[in-house]
Amino acid sequence: MVRPNFPVRLGAAEEALIAQLKSAGADQAAERVTVAGLPTRRVESYHYTDLKTLLRAVPPMGQPANQVDVPALAIAGSYNLTLINGAVFQQGEAPAGLKVGTVTGGVLTTRDDILVHVNNGLAREALSLDVASGAEQIVQIARRIEGEAAHVADAVKIFVGDGAKATIVETFTGSKAAHVGNHATYLALGKDAVVTHVTIDLSGRETSHFATNEYHLADGAKLRTLIVHAGAGLSRTHLFPRLGGAGAHADVTGLNLVSDGQHSDITMETSHAVAHTSSQPLFKSITRGHSKAVVQGKLIVARDAQKTDAKFMHQGLMLSDEAEVLSKPELEIYADDVVCGHGSTCGKLDEDSLFYLLSRGIPKAEAETMLVRGFIAELIDPIEDDALNEALQGIVDGWLLTGQ
Amino acid sequence: MTTPVLEIRNLHARIEEREILKGVNLVIPQGEVHAIMGRNGSGKSTLSYVLAGKEDYEVTEGEILLNGENILEMEPDERAAAGLFLAFQYPIEIPGVATMTFLKAAINAQRKARGEGELSTPDFMRAVKEAGAQLNVDSAMLKRPLNVGFSGGEKKRAEIMQMALLKPSLAVLDETDSGLDIDALQVVSKGVNALRDGKRSMLVITHYQRLLNHIVPDVVHVFSDGRIVESGDKDLALKLEAEGYANYGGEAA
Ligand SMILES: Nc1ncnc2c1ncn2[C@@H]1O[C@H](COP(=O)(O)OP(=O)(O)O)[C@@H](O)[C@H]1O
Ligand SMILES: [Mg+2]
Repeated sequence: MVRPNFPVRLGAAEEALIAQLKSAGADQAAERVTVAGLPTRRVESYHYTDLKTLLRAVPPMGQPANQVDVPALAIAGSYNLTLINGAVFQQGEAPAGLKVGTVTGGVLTTRDDILVHVNNGLAREALSLDVASGAEQIVQIARRIEGEAAHVADAVKIFVGDGAKATIVETFTGSKAAHVGNHATYLALGKDAVVTHVTIDLSGRETSHFATNEYHLADGAKLRTLIVHAGAGLSRTHLFPRLGGAGAHADVTGLNLVSDGQHSDITMETSHAVAHTSSQPLFKSITRGHSKAVVQGKLIVARDAQKTDAKFMHQGLMLSDEAEVLSKPELEIYADDVVCGHGSTCGKLDEDSLFYLLSRGIPKAEAETMLVRGFIAELIDPIEDDALNEALQGIVDGWLLTGQ
Repeated sequence: MTTPVLEIRNLHARIEEREILKGVNLVIPQGEVHAIMGRNGSGKSTLSYVLAGKEDYEVTEGEILLNGENILEMEPDERAAAGLFLAFQYPIEIPGVATMTFLKAAINAQRKARGEGELSTPDFMRAVKEAGAQLNVDSAMLKRPLNVGFSGGEKKRAEIMQMALLKPSLAVLDETDSGLDIDALQVVSKGVNALRDGKRSMLVITHYQRLLNHIVPDVVHVFSDGRIVESGDKDLALKLEAEGYANYGGEAA
């Protein structure tokens, strides 16, 4: 990172953040923002998402609210929790094998990232979930920002015990206002745990959505993530999976659904810390109108992480001429016996495929929908839970139907 | 006389400024099977694409009447609903689209366009099973994404199976024999012959006479340099096989 050797000029958004951090007693974080400011394109991990220009204002901190209703998605058998403006609401008693509680303070590992500093400085009460060893759980966490335009920093800390199997779905919704959401999820997988973690941003266009997800995988743990951006005008998810045990595997996946006027960024930094781990990061972006989709993928392979097998892939589908799909792969490899790679493709709907479907009598709009669904099937098909799979398909279909 | 199923009048078409079809005239009466034979590059696939309405081609002159109706202004899906089916020389692989989903969408879209109700799921399953059995298309193939990982022969069998399900009034088969071994050729031909019912018409495009031993045509046309240059009965195909296309001019392929 380039360090300015002179004080950066702070804008209104930064001034507001500094004041909020100070009044929360987070002086160190306030100091970080004062010195560095919001990240510009000179900060590698924000290369295509210059927050100094994209985030002009930060609204006042969200106030406690207590409206709890139905979860965003109907998923049979899921245990539902809600965070409204950062406060945790538990509905009904937790099932056996799941411990629900709260912890104070931030959940993210401190790192050189302003949004991480801000979240750690402002998140007061983090939801904490413990899935017992060997248990099987489906949990849905609705994270909402309600009321007038608000800045909300909330956090969730999840431990999935050895051999446990968990599906964790997080939705981000709220009132239609110029909110700024800064969300953190810390998810640790015990030995041989199998976890599917799906996060879906469905917040309003006026909202700026930021999420930082940290994953720690022990020996033999298997993680599948699916990050879906389908709401906020500006959305950015920063993923930090760390494979810390032999035999761990992560399918890190994500989908940018971007319409006119939107900017959607998924940035991943996967660390292969020990030998014999693998990851398969696969991201897709679909753009229409004048919009921008960004996927950055960095693979870090430690010196001792021999036999690492990792391939980063980003595929873009542009449904309009004005859209931009940006990819930045990065390999940082310190071991010598590894198979690592990256690739990216970008294009429009395939004309020959479209003609083939039309020639069978399928009307154009329906044929296009079929091809778009086909494009993302690789991301949605592996989601085993039927209700969740269907809900995801519904979100994509809904996005396609709303047009533009 | 009843209206022919297909009537092509003085059809000229080009792609990227290059004229490929140079005045095609062809009439196929109801129930007849016509073969078009011609060397590679003579414009046979172009004719099939122009019939089906592929966007890349510009028709500069002429008419195409399907059951008496001019289809040149129609979109490809409308032509299909009007009774046209093209079995592709190179069927397209579409990852992520399940074959069954595709078949159901195609059948129901055509029914809807014709003002008929949707096929119930049991009726659909029955129809697929029946058509599949005849063409050795097993359920494992149907579970795969459309044409993805199909062998050459599997793709061609799947095309004919689609034709059996969609029941067109005019089927255009573009080099359905290419890439088939003799066993697959027999399966495919049997499937095609089963769809000859005295009403349905077919245009069978091929490079080799071999296919026409199995699907015996009523009329054979020789295609050269973008037009039909000679027509005759099935013996014309044998003559071509013996003598080659050299007598018909045009550039050597
Ligand atoms: N997309 C295209 N652009 C330019 N020329 C084309 C294109 N497709 C086909 N052609 C040309 O049109 C001619 C006829 O091709 P085609 O119809 O495929 O012949 P056939 O099916 O008889 O082998 C060939 O010379 C071919 O090179
Ligand atoms: Mg051809």
